[in-house]
Amino acid sequence: MIKASLRGLLQRKLRLSLALIAIVLSVGFLAGSLVLSDTLNARFGSLFSTINANVAVVVQPKDPQAVDPVRLTDDQLRTLSEVDGVRAVSPDVSAQGVIPFRSDDGEPVSADAMLGFGVDGKDDPLGLVELREGSWPQAADEVTVTAYTAELARVKRGDSLKVYVPVLNEPRTFKVVGVAGYSGGRDSLAGESVVMFQQAYAQETFYGATGRYAGASFAADEGVSDTVLKQRIAEKLPSGFKALTGEESSEEQSAQIGVVFDFIKYILIGFAVLAAVVGVFLIFNTFNIIVAQRTRELALLRALGASWGQVAGSVLLEALVVSVLGATLGLAIGAGLGAWVEHMLIGEFELPSAGIIVKPITVVLAYALGVLVTLIAAFVPAVRASSVPPVAAMRDVVRPDKSLVALSVVGAVLAVPGLALVLTGALADMGGTAFLVLLAGAVLLFVGTLLLSPLLARPLVRGLGALIGRGSAGKLGVRNAVRNPRRTAVTAAAIIIGVTVIGTAATVVQSFKTSLEDIMGDSIGVEVMIQASVTAAPDGRQGFNPKALDQVRAIPGVKEAAAWHFDALNVSVANQPSAFGIFATDVGQASRMFPMDAVDGSIRTLAAQELVVDDNTAETLKLKAGDRTPVVIGGVTRDYTVVGVYKTTPIILGILVGLPAVEDFPGPLAFQGFVSLNEGVDAAPVVAQIEKIMKDYPGVQVGDRQSYVEQATASYDLLLTAVEWLLIVALVIAVLGILNTLLLSIVERTRELGLVRAVGLSRGGLVWMVTVESVLITVFGVALGLALGVGLGAAFTKALITIEFASVIAIPWLDLLQYLAIAVVAGIAAAVLPARIAARLNVLEAISYE
Amino acid sequence: MTSQVSDAPAAGAGAAARAADLWKVYGSGEAQVIALRGVNVELERGRFTAIMGPSGSGKSTLMHCLAGLDTATRGQISVGDTALTGLDDGGLTRLRREKVGFIFQQFNLLPTLTAEENILLPLAIAGRKPDPEWYRTVITTVGLADRLTHRPSQLSGGQQQRVACARALVSRPEVIFADEPTGNLDSRSGAEILNFLRRSVTEHGQTIVMVTHDANAASHADRVIFLADGQIVDELTAPTADAVLDRIKRLDAAPVAGAAE
Repeated sequence: MIKASLRGLLQRKLRLSLALIAIVLSVGFLAGSLVLSDTLNARFGSLFSTINANVAVVVQPKDPQAVDPVRLTDDQLRTLSEVDGVRAVSPDVSAQGVIPFRSDDGEPVSADAMLGFGVDGKDDPLGLVELREGSWPQAADEVTVTAYTAELARVKRGDSLKVYVPVLNEPRTFKVVGVAGYSGGRDSLAGESVVMFQQAYAQETFYGATGRYAGASFAADEGVSDTVLKQRIAEKLPSGFKALTGEESSEEQSAQIGVVFDFIKYILIGFAVLAAVVGVFLIFNTFNIIVAQRTRELALLRALGASWGQVAGSVLLEALVVSVLGATLGLAIGAGLGAWVEHMLIGEFELPSAGIIVKPITVVLAYALGVLVTLIAAFVPAVRASSVPPVAAMRDVVRPDKSLVALSVVGAVLAVPGLALVLTGALADMGGTAFLVLLAGAVLLFVGTLLLSPLLARPLVRGLGALIGRGSAGKLGVRNAVRNPRRTAVTAAAIIIGVTVIGTAATVVQSFKTSLEDIMGDSIGVEVMIQASVTAAPDGRQGFNPKALDQVRAIPGVKEAAAWHFDALNVSVANQPSAFGIFATDVGQASRMFPMDAVDGSIRTLAAQELVVDDNTAETLKLKAGDRTPVVIGGVTRDYTVVGVYKTTPIILGILVGLPAVEDFPGPLAFQGFVSLNEGVDAAPVVAQIEKIMKDYPGVQVGDRQSYVEQATASYDLLLTAVEWLLIVALVIAVLGILNTLLLSIVERTRELGLVRAVGLSRGGLVWMVTVESVLITVFGVALGLALGVGLGAAFTKALITIEFASVIAIPWLDLLQYLAIAVVAGIAAAVLPARIAARLNVLEAISYE
Repeated sequence: MTSQVSDAPAAGAGAAARAADLWKVYGSGEAQVIALRGVNVELERGRFTAIMGPSGSGKSTLMHCLAGLDTATRGQISVGDTALTGLDDGGLTRLRREKVGFIFQQFNLLPTLTAEENILLPLAIAGRKPDPEWYRTVITTVGLADRLTHRPSQLSGGQQQRVACARALVSRPEVIFADEPTGNLDSRSGAEILNFLRRSVTEHGQTIVMVTHDANAASHADRVIFLADGQIVDELTAPTADAVLDRIKRLDAAPVAGAAE
């Protein structure tokens, strides 16, 4: 029995190879995602173990992200360095965002990390950094840089170097007195720039006073283990600090960096899930087809005494073998994919690789996914195979397609309430819960529609066929496409799934963009905007000095310039963490530049401890004009008075406080600046002048109104791009599925193909007939997917409109047409091979084919 | 071409198809099988010719070659005034469209089409309209007027073969090739089909070439050609079933040396 099914396997190589590809794809993406993150972690792990090579123990604040983190004093550092077993101490005086400017063109340098250190003028006791030429900085206006930094900034010893100092919030000029490198002759560890200042200057600038340290690294005496030294140091540790061994510190740091790349990991997992879902349909179809073709053979096995369990088992065994093979290939390809993506991500980093990491858990998950997906998909075909009556071996037993009634009833039972939920979510005003209702409805409607799709296939494909099924060959193609609606629907399922997702996303994004553009066009007074790039939660330590806006106001043609400060780090209002952060600005000025209609109280320039809030947030927080409520900013809690409530719009929403509150913000920098111009002033030259002013603040961008809309929608475009890639993955699998179905049909209909050739159909006509069938299946999937996707997208947008996040439903016709065109091309591509095979059939052999 | 098609059924106007020194060899070396050994045959217009012979005698191969379904290894074939030798696939396709009709043992109807659509399929493929009068005649002759909207799966074997006959007749081809048309039918349905073929020759001047191994079927023809071992060994004009059987017995009694099989 096992032998029979394995031999059958070899005879069906082509058919099974398509199922194999589906398994390879989904397993490949999953394995790729896991290999990527493990390989990344290993690479960064090797970086931090280099940094911590001679480090036994690291002392650092428990909460380094705190607004005002604890510092070690000189005395505390001395106590720790006198602990028995400490061989050497390297205190930590450092800051991030220390940005050198290039000496030739004055542009800020771009590196993967931009660090500043305070050094004490002696050689590094841990032996990581070595002076190559010149000296360590001895005065406040002297710096030493690493060789890589010197190269980036195009300076050498003796040159002057302009450096942006984060806490000063402006650039200063220093003299380069030395160039350093790392042990082992490396110019950088991972493509970072490093500026080393005199220690006292750095302490005063970064920490506000001399004699303060962020932490320290300790080397151990011979014979003292890291763990022992850590315990001894921990006993003397001041409060607010923690001690880690060098190894623990490396692990912690690489884990933090790994998080940055998580989104790519999730995109790959998304691909894996989609490929698996779509693959189930393809594998299902493949095995169904194989079972149908083998009816006589299976019946013979039954007639010879095989039990139904043995017959079902033989199909499942075949599936198991294919899945193991697919998972193995997928694992290999996934490892390659993960390594490749890792290389693409890290390629520009000057960080050596630590090899491709494939962990045991990756292998286990890859096989689990491959086997599970295949066995689920092959289950129904296996049961079908087991129900072949033995008598079918002797004569043709007509096994009519099961009626679509049961399937359609289940589909309708899901789809109708789904539709009702979607409509309720879209039309009823129920705030945030609307999205849950919508989502539940969307899932029900989607699954229901998939189940109904065989029922819809006949009329829809006929209708579409009337458009493209020209000529008698075309008409025959249409007939073939509607011949087995179940098969057509299952084949199109991959496309339906992919296109529904993309249709929904495209409609929501388009509506959102159109809404923003409408509001910008209608009611905004802002012509130029200044924006800090976001690399972490903004809290006033990134951006530009609001003083710079005085220069902007002096530009001819500028009417007003407003600074907006933004703190999204640990702020809370009315005892609830504020997810959208808190903005500080001159609200009176803001109401002249942005549409801010008061719905309660008044919208005016705010004094200290006053706020205004949009009506949605006010409702959530249960605030109204005149209320007093506690507000936490920068760790300080104060009671604020709600002065007014304004209407939510897609561009202005959230909690706004006055400029006096900036005192409490962790940093004094403005996050955004908005500039309005006098009537008839051209924005372009003003943008250029403001860019010049903002040059001193690295990472700050200046743009006109259009660029504001683009920036506001950039993240949605990114999402859409990711979804478009998903569509491509779905389409690839769909093409395989169609190929599969068409190849099967050609085998099944060999005699018919011979006949139509015998009665005069040309080769071209036959190719056209197969192509029409393929394109119809594809377009059927796209049509259903688009109808569903655009409908769901419109429903989601309607709910967004209800909560004022959008103003119009806009359907991205151009994008949709593009998707349709791509699908038609995919349909044609899928037909190429089957059509060629069909056209090459020998008429005589085909017509006498048994 | 249309004019030639309408001219074609004029009885006795020369050969509808002919083969000269026709060889067909399958395979090579030890596996070589010679199916036809220099066959010369001329099939007259407006006549019903049967080709008979034992299994492996080459009778089906001869018909397939004459119909342009198979290519000859050597020799000349023509249908009407078209020489088949050297025609490419496009030329053969045109030949099948315009000059040749087929009736198969397995009926070979398209299950997705109704009886009427199946009958009109060759015309639809060629992009031609049926001559309404001729179409009505054909439908009436085969007695399918009330079954036209049925699908093949709703018809009996005999009815399906009548649809296949109508399909072959409706385009008025130069020659209709019938490959064991009664092989899959019971004797009553088979007799119906044979009478029907006979009538289309007698009443409408259609040329028909039929391969069969049934003496009774062959007796409906004007002329029977006997094949053995890839060669024409005998011929009978205006045959009766008994005469045909008699010839077959004689062929069996004196097998040609080295006959295939």
